[in-house]
Amino acid sequence: MTDNPYAITTHSLTKRFGRLAALDRVSAHVPRGSIYGFMGPNGAGKTTFVHCLLNLIDPTSGTAAVLGHDVVRDSVAVRRRVGHVAALQPLWDWMKVREFAGFMAGCYPRWSQQTVSDILSRVGINQNARIQTLSRGQRALVGLAVAIGHEPDVLLLDEALTGLDPIARREVLRNIIEAMHADGRTVLITGQDIADMERICDHIGFLVNGRLILESPLDDLKARVKRVRVEHPAESPPAVPADALQVEQSARETLFTTRDCSPALLDSLDGPGRRVGIMDLDLENIFIHLAQPPVEAIR
Amino acid sequence: MLDGIDPKSAVPIYRQIADQLRRSVAAGLLAPGDRLPSVRELAGRLLVNPNTVAKVYRDLERDGLLETRRGDGTYISAHAAAMAEADRQRILAERLEAVARDVRAFGISNKAALGLFRDALTNRRRERGDSR
Repeated sequence: MTDNPYAITTHSLTKRFGRLAALDRVSAHVPRGSIYGFMGPNGAGKTTFVHCLLNLIDPTSGTAAVLGHDVVRDSVAVRRRVGHVAALQPLWDWMKVREFAGFMAGCYPRWSQQTVSDILSRVGINQNARIQTLSRGQRALVGLAVAIGHEPDVLLLDEALTGLDPIARREVLRNIIEAMHADGRTVLITGQDIADMERICDHIGFLVNGRLILESPLDDLKARVKRVRVEHPAESPPAVPADALQVEQSARETLFTTRDCSPALLDSLDGPGRRVGIMDLDLENIFIHLAQPPVEAIR
Repeated sequence: MLDGIDPKSAVPIYRQIADQLRRSVAAGLLAPGDRLPSVRELAGRLLVNPNTVAKVYRDLERDGLLETRRGDGTYISAHAAAMAEADRQRILAERLEAVARDVRAFGISNKAALGLFRDALTNRRRERGDSR
């Protein structure tokens, strides 16, 4: 178990609500010590995934483990080691920050009020303030501070950055980075803001209609997924690889996206009178290019 | 020292940070004995994953550009100055390689490309002349 390089693993995790598969055979691997961006459009199943890990809902089939603990059988052990910031954090509005932290402290056998107080004082939040008087960004910071009060090994941040203004977002990002660095914590963060994810995540999972269509270290993804352009004589178009995506072909030009831009591929495209060019794709375009076929295939 | 990074770039953030540090040393903006911010500080300032910064420091230390003094932080090493010249050439060679790829992709002739490069150097000289 200690050799397990992954903090979170799921195997064919499936959750159905009636006929809808909110999660469809998701096998995810979140490396220990990573910041894993779990991304996807609205309704893709990101929050359902987080709720399965916390055993707030039972999976229909498949398994999930956090730090080696099965999330259904050992849910108590999982929750002791996991911190959670929920989408639309249900903070108790009428409580003071201090009372809320105290309330949460009562839920765990281990609690470091020092950790919570340090963060709150660093970001300038008065613990005697009532939660209802705080801005959205401040509430997010309270949620984050309290989520790490029990010094969890894994942090699940569900839409923690969504809806925040740029300044608040930077402050929350900075605190996620701080929280993560403390003890090599593992962070799984869901969201849609590609620029933020591209900045702080080292691993990316991309969920579309409940299916994990992509999981990769971010640098790998950028190095391998490319748009290829071949200019060629009209009479000798190149053979487009079978797994090419977003193929556009005209008389003298062929464009396609490849998941693995290898030297072998480029060699196979080269030939007399041809010119091969490679274009980089940023994460946004990688998603757009990779997402399209499966989305259509499912419908 | 580090002027922010571009997360959208196809150049991995790791490379962007490492290259900026190397460039700063090559340009003399960082000198042997200068102290670098801690991993946590730099990650917080650039808003990037601390693992990425830690890897940059580790790799540059292995290369001899940086040295870690136990319990006291990370410094530009004494060898850095000697490495700077080699780095200048390497950095330039890498950038030119990227340009060369574009030259090929655009189908521009060698002669025209070299002409453009000469113009760029001339313009630059004029600019510097103006500012002095």
